[in-house]
Amino acid sequence: MLLTSIVFLPLAGALLVLLAGGRGDRPDREGVVRVVALAVSLVVFVATLYLWWAFNPVDPEFQLVERHAWLPQFGITYHLGVDGVSLFLIVLTGFLTPLALLSSWQSIHKNVKQFSFFMLALETAMLGVFVSLDLFLFYVFWDAMLIPMYFLIGIWGYERRIYAAVKFILYTMAGSVLMLIAIIGLAWVHSTATGQGPSFDLLDLYGLHLSWGMEMWFFLAFTVAFAIKVPLFPFHTWLPDAHVEAPTAGSVILAGVLLKMGTYGLLRFSFPLFPSAAHYFAPYLAVLAIIGIVYGALVAMVQPDMKKLVAYSSVSHLGFVVLGLCALNVNGVQGAVYQMLNHGVSTGGLFMIVGMLSDRRHTRLIAEFGGLKAVVPRLVAAFLLITLSSIALPGMNGFIGEFLILLGAFRAHPRMTAVAATGVILSAVYMLWMFQRVNYGTVTNEKNRGLRDLTGREWAMMAPTIAMCIFMGVAPNVFLRPMEASVVRVIDRINGVTTFAKSRTSNLDPRAPTLQPPTSGTGVPR
Amino acid sequence: MNAFAATIPILIVVLSAIAAMLAEAIRHPGERMYIAGFGLIGLTGALVASCFLWDADATSFGVVRADNFSLFVNIVLCIIGILTMVFSHDVIEREEIPAGEYYALTLFAISGMMLMAAATDLLVIFLALEVLSLAVYVLTGLRRGSGLGAEAAFKYFLLGAFSSAFFLYGIAIAFTISGSTRLDQVGTAMASAPSPTLAWLAVGLLAVGFCFKVSAVPFHMWTPDAYEGAPTIVTAFMSTGVKAAAFGAFARVFLSTLEPMQGQWVPVLSAVAAATMIVGAVVGVLQNNIKRMLAYSSIAHAGYLLLGIIAANNAGKAAVLFYLLAYAVANLGALGIVALLGTAEHPHDQLRDFAGLWRTRPALAGLMTVFLLSLGGFPPTAGFIGKWYIFAAAVQNGHYWLAIIGVLSSVVSVFFYLRIVVMMYMTEDASAPARPRVSAPSMAALGFATLAVFYLGVLPARVIDYALQSIQTIF
Repeated sequence: MLLTSIVFLPLAGALLVLLAGGRGDRPDREGVVRVVALAVSLVVFVATLYLWWAFNPVDPEFQLVERHAWLPQFGITYHLGVDGVSLFLIVLTGFLTPLALLSSWQSIHKNVKQFSFFMLALETAMLGVFVSLDLFLFYVFWDAMLIPMYFLIGIWGYERRIYAAVKFILYTMAGSVLMLIAIIGLAWVHSTATGQGPSFDLLDLYGLHLSWGMEMWFFLAFTVAFAIKVPLFPFHTWLPDAHVEAPTAGSVILAGVLLKMGTYGLLRFSFPLFPSAAHYFAPYLAVLAIIGIVYGALVAMVQPDMKKLVAYSSVSHLGFVVLGLCALNVNGVQGAVYQMLNHGVSTGGLFMIVGMLSDRRHTRLIAEFGGLKAVVPRLVAAFLLITLSSIALPGMNGFIGEFLILLGAFRAHPRMTAVAATGVILSAVYMLWMFQRVNYGTVTNEKNRGLRDLTGREWAMMAPTIAMCIFMGVAPNVFLRPMEASVVRVIDRINGVTTFAKSRTSNLDPRAPTLQPPTSGTGVPR
Repeated sequence: MNAFAATIPILIVVLSAIAAMLAEAIRHPGERMYIAGFGLIGLTGALVASCFLWDADATSFGVVRADNFSLFVNIVLCIIGILTMVFSHDVIEREEIPAGEYYALTLFAISGMMLMAAATDLLVIFLALEVLSLAVYVLTGLRRGSGLGAEAAFKYFLLGAFSSAFFLYGIAIAFTISGSTRLDQVGTAMASAPSPTLAWLAVGLLAVGFCFKVSAVPFHMWTPDAYEGAPTIVTAFMSTGVKAAAFGAFARVFLSTLEPMQGQWVPVLSAVAAATMIVGAVVGVLQNNIKRMLAYSSIAHAGYLLLGIIAANNAGKAAVLFYLLAYAVANLGALGIVALLGTAEHPHDQLRDFAGLWRTRPALAGLMTVFLLSLGGFPPTAGFIGKWYIFAAAVQNGHYWLAIIGVLSSVVSVFFYLRIVVMMYMTEDASAPARPRVSAPSMAALGFATLAVFYLGVLPARVIDYALQSIQTIF
């Protein structure tokens, strides 16, 4: 029941918000609504922390499993479970939602009730995506998530919000409906292969043997859906629009969690369901990822708009994640999962900073700023720390992720990794250049004088974010340990190793450098 | 069992139609009378009767069969009818529609629809088709003062008469081959027909008749005009009711009687289905009138339903039934809201009329959004399960391409459903039209439809079970 409670708690909270908001347009109830929504999201965050506590880190299988018949005629089950890969994405979702709600405290004034409703409904859908172990259930959450995000962008966004919202929803849907066909096809293949009727259960389908042609088409259908979400070059064009037009809270969630669904989908569904196709296509995906890394970085460099710059930096950073996944080894995948968390925290933080600046100045153009260091020193300090985290300075979270990814990718594709490594330098270039233009020098624009420094509410947003950036940078094992067993299990599935015993020789190569060499007791099922 | 047993639901509806007519006759000019009540009583009675007849498999006179399949369609039709009646009471006075004729014709149309789904004889199917068609033609042109309505009714009637003629030719040729119009005898005779060309011709002509009624491309031309010109409440009624009845008979004739000839008709209908889905979705994008937009949407939905017939497996047949129900509640809800907001002077059917509806009518805008999302096939609504079921059936039989065309066209159709949502939520209303109040019963009916949309979307297992039971008796 724990997972069900965590998933549907935000939805219950969303309904509570509707009640608390009263009938019609009631500006006087705004405060109550905000507090209720924030309280619900904090409760959810605590629940996700409890989930972490209840999670057994050495068990590589899915835990806290709930399984009920839902549509028995078609082998569709309500099947939830969590493993080391999804665990931290759930915690990340719980972590970012209250921050996102806080970030909208000042900037969202119209229809706070509906805004909070959609934010909480979105959280339910996001959590659902990460815990579903039934493809049908997964698709339900995956698609349902589009609706609240569509409203968040379309109602509370900036000037071109309608265009961005419609583009977002149609682009994502176009990819995911093909995945729906592949899901259905997979279920019927299960029916003919086993004679036990169709099944949408992920664990049933993992063991399925497909013909090469089928495997290839299904893999492509799944992967295109996820590649659009990531977004992998050349499917990234919806992202700058959606990120830039979304309100700050929407951008934080979009960058922090939604993009991770794409990479999570690759790792959970595309690769292990279709292992031969994964091995065949991984180098091609890696090439696209590297193009994304370099292209995203170069485009970010020339953006005059801070928000757009951060948006393109996401394309670059997510390229790293996909590169790590395509390495198909423990370092690469673990680094990729770690980098998903890092990107969620640091890019979420960047969007919050940009949101604060744009709340103050009502512009996001870099040229409008300059010399902020003298005006708002605390805000700039926070900005600096987040920036350093984003460019992967050693000691910050980003470094661990990118290092592991490059380590893993180098073993798989050494030449390509050399190209990808330039992305590390490029990210320093565009981020620091932007930081310099905004914060250093003298105040050139009179409007920048007398801006307010961080308020208490903004401290409440930035302090946990920065703390996480540093904590994840200095104590990575707190996170890497629990995910290790599950990552090994996933890679075994991709490499077609069915028993765990064999995997210890095939994947945990003692010569391979790892941050956390497997000691006896970790990663071995009891 | 009594010889009349299978016709009981139909007779109840006919009686209520007669009662409505008599009520109009004895009504003093200007006297207000709740004529919709007769319809509500009759339809509820038919609903209850249908439930009682479940699993009984009654047959009357050898030509009407109340098997679970027709009873399922009956129940869908009763739900459509009841919702229509509730909305009508709000609407018809404002729209200046003559009440007595309206209710009587609607109820006669429903009786024809029920008969059509239950008929096991080609001539009875034709009879039922004409009963419902004539009623609907008149309903389309019921606003005598409206030029648009007259044009719509005329177009619908003319094209409808043509298609009926085609259908009748098909029956005649089938009779030539088999010497009977009974579906079972036609089926066996057609399969072993000495002249396959003749059998081919019969199948083709029957298919034309059905395709016209379900508005499949290229027989869809009448749909946008008829839907636009008819009073909105009639559009709501016919877009759901006629489709349910026609697809019921379509499935019965093509999936049981003409099943042996699948090899011949599946390729043709596949092309029709593909064209229907694409045209419905793509042309719908260009519409600025909500009724025309939903007309093209209903064309696209006919394409999805055809996919269920083409799949021709158990999943496909049950999917058609489930989809009819899912589509009925969502489409009736959406068009019901359009009807409830319209008046004679201001029909409230342009896209821009919906601007800022969220501000003034948050509840209606919310319900409308639910219905549109269901039509667009978003989870967790009925439309998603319906679409998924249809596509699952198509994929099971290897119709991957049709399924892919289906899902992609549904993405295109999402674009125009979202246009309405954009209008309601993201556009400020410049000149707010005076929107009439919506009465409590209508709100309750809309609430019921919303509940149904979510129930079918979240817990569809039971209804899918009933749908699967329904198809076992005849296929």
